Amino acid sequence: MTGTLAKPNAIESAEKQWIVRGHERCSTGKFMAWLSPWIGLLLLGLYATYLCLRFGLGETHLDNRFGFGLWIFLDLAVIALGAGAFFSGFLLYILKWKEIKAVINSAVVLGFLCYSGAVAVLAVDVGQPLRSWFTFWHPNTHSMLTEVTFCITCYLIVLSIEYLPILLKNRKFKQVPSFLVFEWELHKLMPVFAGIGVFLSFFHQGSLGGLFGVMRGRPFAFREGFSIWPTTFFLFVLSAAAVGPSFIILTTKLVEKITGKRLVKEDIYRTLAKTTGVLLTIYVALKCTDTLMWLNSTSVRAGVAPWEFYEFRPFGHATLFTEVVIFGMIPALLLLSRRLRERPGLITLGAALACLGVVFNRFVMTIQTLALPTLSFDEFMLYLPNWVEYAVFGGVIAYAVIVYSLSYRYLNLFPQEQDLQLNPKEVGNVPVR
Amino acid sequence: MFPFVDGFHWTVGHIVFLTAFGLVAATMAVTMFFVVQRVLDNFRKNRTAAIQWHSDFHDLGEQDRRCRHELTGCAARRECHNSFECGHCADHPRFAQLEPATSAVSLDAFGLDFPSDRLYHRGHTWVRVEEDGTMTIGLDDLGRRLLGTPDRVELPKPGDSLTTNGAAWYAFRNDSPVRVLSPVDGMVIETGGPDQDWYLKVRPTRANPNLAHLLRGAEVSAWLRRELERLQIMVAPAGAGPALADGGSLMEDLPQAQPDANWDAVYGKMFLAP
Repeated sequence: MTGTLAKPNAIESAEKQWIVRGHERCSTGKFMAWLSPWIGLLLLGLYATYLCLRFGLGETHLDNRFGFGLWIFLDLAVIALGAGAFFSGFLLYILKWKEIKAVINSAVVLGFLCYSGAVAVLAVDVGQPLRSWFTFWHPNTHSMLTEVTFCITCYLIVLSIEYLPILLKNRKFKQVPSFLVFEWELHKLMPVFAGIGVFLSFFHQGSLGGLFGVMRGRPFAFREGFSIWPTTFFLFVLSAAAVGPSFIILTTKLVEKITGKRLVKEDIYRTLAKTTGVLLTIYVALKCTDTLMWLNSTSVRAGVAPWEFYEFRPFGHATLFTEVVIFGMIPALLLLSRRLRERPGLITLGAALACLGVVFNRFVMTIQTLALPTLSFDEFMLYLPNWVEYAVFGGVIAYAVIVYSLSYRYLNLFPQEQDLQLNPKEVGNVPVR
Repeated sequence: MFPFVDGFHWTVGHIVFLTAFGLVAATMAVTMFFVVQRVLDNFRKNRTAAIQWHSDFHDLGEQDRRCRHELTGCAARRECHNSFECGHCADHPRFAQLEPATSAVSLDAFGLDFPSDRLYHRGHTWVRVEEDGTMTIGLDDLGRRLLGTPDRVELPKPGDSLTTNGAAWYAFRNDSPVRVLSPVDGMVIETGGPDQDWYLKVRPTRANPNLAHLLRGAEVSAWLRRELERLQIMVAPAGAGPALADGGSLMEDLPQAQPDANWDAVYGKMFLAP
């Protein structure tokens, strides 16, 4: 067989030395073309960030009544989706599910992007970044947000440490002896960081939920619970753990679609799908119980008629139905059933619905909670973000896409990729006799 | 909240909160300190080459890490967890006893030249122990055909030390660097090259060098069969279905014969340097 491959130019030859051995990637020009619109969006986001930091939140549609808007909703959503990092680490390093190795690198990068993006948006939202250390020096110990701040900061440091070995495994970097040895030693102690990550994630995911549950002045969100923790504390932890694997499925499938390559074996998807299925089923059962308790007990004792909350449009009864049934029960069923999990399309659908479910839940907890009136003279408020808020939101998405694209191009995010590329029929046991 | 902030007074909440985060911060700091200390220790003990091999072995695919005794059929299914360092494997002596006697088996090399007077490393090098105790190292016939005519070869200088599974020499073909692994520990005393039958002559570091990890006799045939299967899968044109080999022998310069294949990937897999 003869070939007529075009000889790569000098830039491509040089770039090839940075790409993981054996990984086939698109040309440099095509990659730059893919990045260009995202870089444009990132620049727009940076401009919007400048406006907010220079002139204050008056540049946005946020006000004293609607302090939690698009950004906090984004924060809660990405922190829940980024739970795939801590949960994958828990499965791999603590429970020793070896098959998770196929996606752990991607999960860590996604977690890092979700958390760093969330912290960046918080910095714009809170403002005064030069005084950010105040939150650690003068913390309000009566606020769950203090615990969230400490946990997220620590966990972002943990994720950065977890990202480091993946970065140092780059083909060029690992030729530097000190990088190689540092990466090797750091990698060996990764279970310690995974354990810390699980501890921190459990508490800050929970506290983000607890934050809403303790708001007596917001009867739509207020919940009772155990000791100082309202039920939303546990529901947030469980929902984040449930959708973490689904987000990994979804992002991996998306990368496979965009690149036209198989990146992980089908049985990995099935394992992740089953994990989400089991956890989501438990979550939906607890969520239904919690909702019934709130409707029949908590709200009644607080002197409010809970069904009235669903009279305000656009948040009708359909909101509750969508959250619990369409984004809860249906994906739980799709991912729990072994027969349905055999169909890759249904795994993708189930994972997408599960992720949408957690995003929708965080939307309900932030936007719907704040929109509803709480006093007799209060009015239903409609909040719509302005272009500055959308631009910052878009900037964070662009940042995540750019860093993930660079990571995928130059790092070994999917260790099975090369084997699947060389032998798409999933190398099994080759008979030797 | 902190004792050094005006108006601070201790409560149970403060103690629990500060203890929890103090423990987290301390664990992270101690772990990182431990990592740095281990890194410095490794440099002091000159373990870089060994770490590079362990790191590369860790990155090999599951199918690239099969135990030699699985290849011969002595073990049903077995992945190596000792970085192919059979001298460190507790089960290797037991399996080795089950293998057919070396001298009783003729070496079926599938049309390749694999003399039976040598020991073979899984990174496609061979070792021949000479009468004077020195060892000659070369590239096996499959490795030679994989590289074809290299664009460039970088050999160590006489007097340089080699570490088992560390880099013995580097070859370059079509922009792809290939790190050829050393099959033994030793000091280089003479260098050859691609134009000769051998690449290096070394004097072993120890009087009785550990050669347990090197393949011999019948297991060379079994290993070679697997290597040829892997190669066939890797260089097959995209979209080609499974096919049965219909005879013939490998061409001398494979990259020239099959230029469309992803040779960078093939080199990584076959020379165990991902």
